Amino acid sequence: MSFVHIQNVTKVYNKNKVLDQVSLSISEGEFITLLGPSGCGKSTLLRAISGLNDITEGSITVGGKDITNLPPKKRNVGMVFQSYALFPNMTAFDNIAFGLKMDGLSKKEIEPMVNEMLDIIDLKGKENRYPSQLSGGQQQRVALARALVKKPTVLLLDEPLSALDAKIRRSLRTQIRLIQKRLNMTTIFVTHDQEEALTISDRIFVMNHGTVEQVGTPLEIYTSPKTEYVAKFIGNYNVWSRDQLKGIPMNGVPSQGEMFAVRPEAIQLVSTEQAGHIGEYTADGTITMATILGNVMRFDVDVAGLNIRVDMLNEHGIGRLNTGSRVKLVIPSIEWKNIQKSD
Amino acid sequence: MQTQERNRISGGRLWHNIVVILLFAFLLIPLLVTALFSVSTNWENTILPQGLTFKWYEALFSDTRFLYAIGRSFLIAILTVIVSLVIMVPTIFIISLYFPKLEKWLQTIVLLPFALPGVVAAVGLIKLYSAPPVAISGTIWILLGVYFIVLMPFVYQSTRNSLRAINAVELMEAAEVLGAAKLKAFVRVILPNIMPGLIVASLLSFSIIFGEFVLANMLVGGSYEVVQVYLFRILAQDGRAASGTIITFFIIIFILYALVLKIGNWKPKVKPLPDAEEEETA
Repeated sequence: MSFVHIQNVTKVYNKNKVLDQVSLSISEGEFITLLGPSGCGKSTLLRAISGLNDITEGSITVGGKDITNLPPKKRNVGMVFQSYALFPNMTAFDNIAFGLKMDGLSKKEIEPMVNEMLDIIDLKGKENRYPSQLSGGQQQRVALARALVKKPTVLLLDEPLSALDAKIRRSLRTQIRLIQKRLNMTTIFVTHDQEEALTISDRIFVMNHGTVEQVGTPLEIYTSPKTEYVAKFIGNYNVWSRDQLKGIPMNGVPSQGEMFAVRPEAIQLVSTEQAGHIGEYTADGTITMATILGNVMRFDVDVAGLNIRVDMLNEHGIGRLNTGSRVKLVIPSIEWKNIQKSD
Repeated sequence: MQTQERNRISGGRLWHNIVVILLFAFLLIPLLVTALFSVSTNWENTILPQGLTFKWYEALFSDTRFLYAIGRSFLIAILTVIVSLVIMVPTIFIISLYFPKLEKWLQTIVLLPFALPGVVAAVGLIKLYSAPPVAISGTIWILLGVYFIVLMPFVYQSTRNSLRAINAVELMEAAEVLGAAKLKAFVRVILPNIMPGLIVASLLSFSIIFGEFVLANMLVGGSYEVVQVYLFRILAQDGRAASGTIITFFIIIFILYALVLKIGNWKPKVKPLPDAEEEETA
């Protein structure tokens, strides 16, 4: 039995279908991510669950309770915004206590609950600071505590890390995941960053044009994209149509399917001079560009006009592969993923 | 070369200073002379007054006509500011958050007073409001109405700017998700955060009304004599009383503007902390 159940949710805005018959089920304690570019409907769906946006059709059930037509204040969901949305006139403590005050709890009841939260987000001693006296990461942790202190049925995170710089984003991402696991909090996370989605989620819902294009664990989504859109969005996949491959001297192209995706790191690259031990190989090519990404080297290889992207670990000796080098490519047959064309 | 350069710069600075001094002289000399005149015993055929005295102020402040006029000015200004805020702030809040499409209409309405010179407005208003069903010409009510209109652009601008500066839309959403009803969220979250802006708007509005003459004179004149009208009428009769009034008037407005500047630069309760720049602990 799923804990959050979204059924056939449609949202029409200015005659545009922002959400089109979206259905999804989430188990209790699960961390799921809605992933997609801006305008794919992920934020609209999140806001529909919080009650900040109404929906045209469909139903939303949380914990067995139909909340489709409830106002936000009656839904008992927690929400964290990209811009933190802390109340500037209140201290960190009062910000966290706000929701409890609205529920009519007494000061005596509120204090231990807020203190426990301050402990969890590791901001003990800073409770009397105003938001303007806290760093971005600290502010977002206060916002997280403010949402969690009410023990919401589901926690909604609307791109909570996008306004932070890279280093803090990574550490806060880990912190969010740890807190979520500790509290066993059912969580829906919205992001356009595929790396974020892959590292933090139990399951990912890739969204496109108001629909869910593919659902799966991070591993499934990354290794087996089902459509051209997912393959292009989730990684740096090589995506080729059969038409593009026509006339290219390549061995091992599958006989079935119209569209293929091949992970750049699944392709082996050997310089032609040293290729003596290679038996079967897929194609001959020339490196047109070598880019260092840190621990990985990225090569663009030209095979009779077709560009193939190859990622290799930046190991000792890789410097011999350079722009202009002649190379042999090996694509294991299992790495040819049959995908659907997206429009 | 360098000295030439330096000369050019100091020449520029000199020129700058002269302009500033001239400007201040132009603005302040009449005021200083008026102030001096209002405390002089006799100043007719000498360069400087023959003696100083506060007796004109004593006379002024024991004149009930003057005191009533000041009182009326305060009353009408305070009343109008309160009415404007109570009506305009919720209206602007609701329109800019929930009916943004109507905002362009609100803007048009609010800017109308700028397109309508006071004299023109006054003539029209007298014609309309002298006869039943709404015969309020010559009363405080017509002033209240017209000043409300005069204040609209100022109240609108500062309220809307304050709402934008605090990102009112998201604050409201956050408060609602946390269990607050809309009204409660407005009172507990939005109002305290736009308060500095509203205080500045009130003080500015207050001093605008306090100094307004054309409408006050034409619409109510002597039947509800405010201090501006009193000043105008006393000018012909008694130069010293007029000077005293001007100085009193100036001091009130000056205090108001000083408050506006002070509060306008005021930031909500931020105490400087020694470790405010502390590194992220995460």
